[in-house]
Amino acid sequence: MSTIATLPAIAADPTEPATRTAVSVIGADKIFTLGRGKKLQALAEVDLEIAEGEFVAIIGPSGCGKSTVLRLAAGLDEPTNGRVEIFGAEPRQLARQHRLGVAFQEHALLPWASVRSNIALPFKVAGRPVDDARVDGLIDLVGLTGFEKARPKQLSGGMRQRVSIARALALSPDLLLLDEPFGALDAVTRRRMNAELARIWGEEKITTILVTHDVDEALILADRVIVMTGRPGHVRTVKTVDFPRPRDAEITRSSEFHALVDELTCLLDASDGAAA
Amino acid sequence: MNTAPRTSVKVAYAIAGGALLIVLTQLIGTFELAGRAWPPLADVLSYVLTPTGAGLLVRNSLVTFTSAAQGFALGSAVAVLGAALALVVPMFRPGLDRFAAILHAVPTIALAPLLITTVGREDAPAVIAALSVGFVMFVTMASGFANTGSAQHDLFTVFGSNRARRLVRLELPRAVPAFFDGLALGAPAAVLGATIGEWFGAPMGLGLVIVSAMQNYQMSLLWAAALAATAMSLLAYLIFVQLQRIAMRRFT
Repeated sequence: MSTIATLPAIAADPTEPATRTAVSVIGADKIFTLGRGKKLQALAEVDLEIAEGEFVAIIGPSGCGKSTVLRLAAGLDEPTNGRVEIFGAEPRQLARQHRLGVAFQEHALLPWASVRSNIALPFKVAGRPVDDARVDGLIDLVGLTGFEKARPKQLSGGMRQRVSIARALALSPDLLLLDEPFGALDAVTRRRMNAELARIWGEEKITTILVTHDVDEALILADRVIVMTGRPGHVRTVKTVDFPRPRDAEITRSSEFHALVDELTCLLDASDGAAA
Repeated sequence: MNTAPRTSVKVAYAIAGGALLIVLTQLIGTFELAGRAWPPLADVLSYVLTPTGAGLLVRNSLVTFTSAAQGFALGSAVAVLGAALALVVPMFRPGLDRFAAILHAVPTIALAPLLITTVGREDAPAVIAALSVGFVMFVTMASGFANTGSAQHDLFTVFGSNRARRLVRLELPRAVPAFFDGLALGAPAAVLGATIGEWFGAPMGLGLVIVSAMQNYQMSLLWAAALAATAMSLLAYLIFVQLQRIAMRRFT
């Protein structure tokens, strides 16, 4: 438990403009008080550094604190010890400036609002005029043209998640946080959603943190995969994924891809064993 | 859907129940099973159909309806504002909760003399109706506001919502079904409150008719007035239950 993987900062490529650090988590502990003096340590000295424009996936078994990391980055929780900085400021700052996009595992769509108003919600919440062209563009991007007036309960699970992702992208956020957005979907829909998300990310290049327990999903989407282990949650390994994009079926069927899937799956298994 | 009885069966049960009730009231009256104060239903209805009876009931029902509607609107509005205040300023919540509970616990009988001296005989029924509606509405709205899912609250936080927009875009729309619940429960309470309010010296209204019919031993009139009040209250309830169903469909 005492081994803490400290991530090296991204080595600056001299040929490109220096990349800014988007997210840095420094020695973050999170201890929840459960009442009657009981405490639960969800995170122990987590260190993360994510560069601007990077897509990072956090994988780990259930209860390893990966969602807690995301909540810290979103400013929904504060670390008990340590610091979280987003673009050099505290996380809540980013939310207050309407520069944060989040899609939760629960889609949290407003049931009384149409697809269109749900996607336009961030504009209204920010007190900005709704950019109709942008909303139309997003509806098209997530493939929901023709469903603008539908309400969430009339949509399938996959469609709701796509609305939720479109909503997260509405204000062209500087940071996108995705907490198992496809967790509730069947394998086929999930693969299709992965491909769509990869395509959307390819167009928008937003700094993204994706929390998932699906190794394939992480490898299809991410530049780097962070493996976390549980109780208390900490970073076990960081893997750089350098398959070329777009990562189509040809790549996911390659032996290199499978080798990496196996390696990461082993790490998850090992971490399960350690936690037990 | 498959386990619930079909609509036609439900309607048949409702009609059978209603018919049974009518026959029982008629029989109890005819055979004087509950004494002479319980007239046969046919006598009551034939009184309702006489020009004198109909005119008297319609005039007084309108007065009671007006008081009940005024109290209903006033009570609902104050209760919604109170519940919204408790939501926006959590510091007020315990105080408002207790205030509503205490107000509700004071018997109408004890309040009536106070109201007659303060707001007067004519307005006391509306105020008593407002008090009855207000408590029901406050409790329903407070639970409707408390009901917002935490995922949606988190969402508004990460999108940087301020308090006012959170209220307007999340908390108020989510409480719309609760609001109609409150209206459906409050409508009969308003009619009851107005009728009781009229017992304490109101110049007109079903409550007054009930009291004077009782003192003059006009049993058919007494029962006819009670029937009118019940019909009004039932009708209001059914209308608001329908609206509540529409709100549930639209807002969840």
